[in-house]
Amino acid sequence: MLNYWVSVLTLGLIFAMATMGLNVKWGWAGELDLAMFGFIAVGAYVYGVVVLPPSKLPAPDHYILGLQWGFFPGLIIAMIVVSLLSLVVGAVALRKLRGDYFGIVTVAFVLCLAIFISQYTFLFDGFPGLDGVPQPFNGVLNLSPTGYGIFFFALTILFTFIAYFILELLANSQFGRALRSVREDQSAAMAYGRNVYVLKLKAYVIGSAVAGMSGAFFMAFMSAFNPYAWAPAETFLLFGAIFVGGSGNGRGVILGALFVFVAIQEITRLFPVLPGNAQASDALRFVIIGFLIIAVLWFRPQGLLPEVRDRDGEPGPTLKDRSISFRDGWVHRGQRIIRIANRSKSEAK
Amino acid sequence: MHNFLLATGFGLVTASIIAISAVALSLQYSVTSVPNFAHGEVMMVGAYSAWVVSKHSASIPLEILVSIFFGAIVSWSINRFVLQPFLHRKAKNLVLFVLTIACSLILQNLVLLFFGGAPRAMVMSVGGVHHVGPFRFTGMGEFTIATGVVVCLLVHVVLKYTFFGKAQRAVADHRELARVSGIHADRTVGLTWLFAGGITGLSGFILAITIGSLTPTTGSAYLLVIFAAAVVGGIGQAYGAIIGSLVIGLTMEWSALYLPSDYKIFIAFGILITMLIVRPGGIITTRLRNVAE
Repeated sequence: MLNYWVSVLTLGLIFAMATMGLNVKWGWAGELDLAMFGFIAVGAYVYGVVVLPPSKLPAPDHYILGLQWGFFPGLIIAMIVVSLLSLVVGAVALRKLRGDYFGIVTVAFVLCLAIFISQYTFLFDGFPGLDGVPQPFNGVLNLSPTGYGIFFFALTILFTFIAYFILELLANSQFGRALRSVREDQSAAMAYGRNVYVLKLKAYVIGSAVAGMSGAFFMAFMSAFNPYAWAPAETFLLFGAIFVGGSGNGRGVILGALFVFVAIQEITRLFPVLPGNAQASDALRFVIIGFLIIAVLWFRPQGLLPEVRDRDGEPGPTLKDRSISFRDGWVHRGQRIIRIANRSKSEAK
Repeated sequence: MHNFLLATGFGLVTASIIAISAVALSLQYSVTSVPNFAHGEVMMVGAYSAWVVSKHSASIPLEILVSIFFGAIVSWSINRFVLQPFLHRKAKNLVLFVLTIACSLILQNLVLLFFGGAPRAMVMSVGGVHHVGPFRFTGMGEFTIATGVVVCLLVHVVLKYTFFGKAQRAVADHRELARVSGIHADRTVGLTWLFAGGITGLSGFILAITIGSLTPTTGSAYLLVIFAAAVVGGIGQAYGAIIGSLVIGLTMEWSALYLPSDYKIFIAFGILITMLIVRPGGIITTRLRNVAE
């Protein structure tokens, strides 16, 4: 039982990393990136080929590299490769496209990527995919399966926190503020001398690098990866996690990821399995998440933990303003959380 | 040369299927300015409803009517019960896009839940192979091409010669201006979803009988190909969608002569991306649509 929950939570945290990456793109920069799962997959594949020994598969099956370099080089190379890939994609797609067309281009990209990786067997062994990826550090530690599970869980927690803190620093830096100004009003940001294209591209690459990291962890955890393990549609689960948690809020998206990838997963497992329909619980999960996205956007568009607004006292919209623009929020001052509307009311007195 | 003509014949059939769907997508996109990600699912619902009917009766016209009916209902409901309430709260366009994605998730997986993921056979008695000019078509292929032509003509006539079409074009141009001119914008948009949804349901049925089977992902697999055709032709242009579908359909089938057939979709997406970046208004366009920010 302990094993089970440790592995479920580890997976939840790995997806939380990916959600944090997507939060940089959607939450900070307002980019509707539907290619996110492609970057996770590339991260996983690259980590796999860096860590695995050279390919000895029979003829058409083959994977590149096979360096046996261990966990940290694998992680770093995976993040670098994913960053470069996203730099190319972003440089093309962010150039001059409106938000919805950008989304369509990223979907087209990720579907192309899926076809390419599964067809071109030389690269990552096509449909069979990679397997037998060694568990990081287990050769040194020699832990029992339970002990190793807990060790890997701790490692995942550590890296989730590192990513969280770096991203929080970035969010509160000049860069983060500039990015949010771009999200709220591009023309205004441009008028204040911001290079919108470069800012958005930076956000895209940073978000993808985090996705690469989560992909590497996914590979290290599952120790196998093939085209069946990822579907472009899973990006929508990440979006569901962001909306539930609160887009733009670092803690919120972790909470949202745990909710979507742990809580809902476990709840749908409890439903009786329909005979002859093996995919029923997966289908049910996607249906629930679809309704959840709509419900959250309607009832609480700012998410469970709304984005922390700036401390400069910029007046936000009032309670009456129910427009969905991800702008309503809370002002965070020291330890206290004060609703903007209440404050402006008391100031009026 | 023989293979080339054969591929061209296939290409014309593929283009007709895409054209039916792309004309509907293009119409709905231009009037409502919401990129409908659930378009593929509306196709799939149309096909599944026809499949349910086909188990009880073998009447093709009935299957066609049912697919049109359910496509229209589903499409109209997406607008009425999901998008319109949000629109009245002045939701951003991207939020509406996300909502259509959520609808597509829900529809696709509801069908998966109730019908299972196993492919369902969808066959129609096929007439023999005929030679038409240099091409060879099956009866099925001729039926598809004829339907494509009829649907595109219908959309053209509706857009050009009816009051509804005029209202649609007005709303597509400028929603607020249309409203001050006395056009009931909400009703026009709702009817557009209904009309486009019916055509989409029909296209789903045609797609399913052409492939011969259907799964819950049949529609979404073709979604971006249809987007590609609509974008290449220019969003909101009935003729444009025909040209776009011909470009996409023929290129896909011709590419299959030289590349593994899985790369067909690759080619279509390549055209989509190139087109969006080089000439986002489509091939035939008289004005620049606002695709850039």
